Amino acid sequence: MRAFGAVVVESLLIAAVGSALALAANALSPRGLRLSRNYFPNGERGAPSVPATATHSPAASAAAAFGSANPAAALLRRLEKHGLRAVTASEVIALYRDPQYEQGLMVFVDARDDAHFAAGHIPGAWQFNHYRAENYLPAVLPVCLIALKVVVYCTGGQCEDSEFAAVMLRDAGVPAENLFVYPGGITEWMTNNLPVEIGARRSGRFLSATP
Amino acid sequence: MSGGSGIPGSHRVPDLLAVAARWLLAAVFLYLGLGKALHPVEFLKLVRQYGVFEDPLLLNLVAAVLPWFEVICGLLLLAGVTVRGAVWLLVAMLIPFTALILLRALAIRELGALPFCAIKFDCGCGGGEVFICPKLFENAGLTILSVWLAFYPRQRLCLRPAIVASAVR
Repeated sequence: MRAFGAVVVESLLIAAVGSALALAANALSPRGLRLSRNYFPNGERGAPSVPATATHSPAASAAAAFGSANPAAALLRRLEKHGLRAVTASEVIALYRDPQYEQGLMVFVDARDDAHFAAGHIPGAWQFNHYRAENYLPAVLPVCLIALKVVVYCTGGQCEDSEFAAVMLRDAGVPAENLFVYPGGITEWMTNNLPVEIGARRSGRFLSATP
Repeated sequence: MSGGSGIPGSHRVPDLLAVAARWLLAAVFLYLGLGKALHPVEFLKLVRQYGVFEDPLLLNLVAAVLPWFEVICGLLLLAGVTVRGAVWLLVAMLIPFTALILLRALAIRELGALPFCAIKFDCGCGGGEVFICPKLFENAGLTILSVWLAFYPRQRLCLRPAIVASAVR
């Protein structure tokens, strides 16, 4: 019994010291989380970025993945709640081909992290990883403030980061009526065989043959 | 160090197995913990999907602390410091996490009408997407190994098997 008590004491001691060390490690790590920040500003778990299920039924897979029988409707509802709108693939392509895109009046914002952005993004898109907003906002915010339309995207499918990034841009002063979320994301863009820029923005390197 | 010299012959094999079990647990938790600690945002997203922690501060705390905590437990086991305390903590983490993973898988099965073992998702365990059945077996194995190690009477090749004197039997 005494030995059991001693082990409990040891466990509690490790838990206390371990938690303190873990907090210190998080604080010191350049990738650490800011504890007081709300990283998910939409306030509801809409499209869980979780399960890719092994199944032969795409519909069942999508429903399971999104935790909802109608993920598209759920997304639209969430966007509407924030005064934002979704755009379809054809609308996005039209915006990309609009001459105003080259003038910076139409802006694409990629809400993914560095590795994914470098692996391939819509040509000319600005990166805004909202989890590290302080690193990206100074560059992307002025561009979005002067744009007529800002389209935010991420991976597509289960990815919610475009929603969070759009909400953060709205909160930073970008008019909600100018902000759009592209739910299909880079996955749909690539499926349509559209040009994909790799590396940094305006790197001049493309996955597709024609930029 | 509690060395292996002078181990009676009948104890040698089980004692070595206990050392191997400890180092295996250490390696697993170091690997899984570091994988999450180095990508805290990804882990944060996955923890959120369980819907257990709705408060942002609590969610961030769990996502920030848990991976490093696993790393610390792994290091303690590797070095052989407070072994029983560390393995009981692992058990205390493994059991609820396994239950959460199981509940999540059952919810997915309900939505997708899938065979249970065909369900594959990233449980936030540190190894990416996994099929549910092997994951549950893995967690059960780790739990059994931890409990066995907690009750095993001798700890060899340890820097300091216990820091509270009566924890050493």
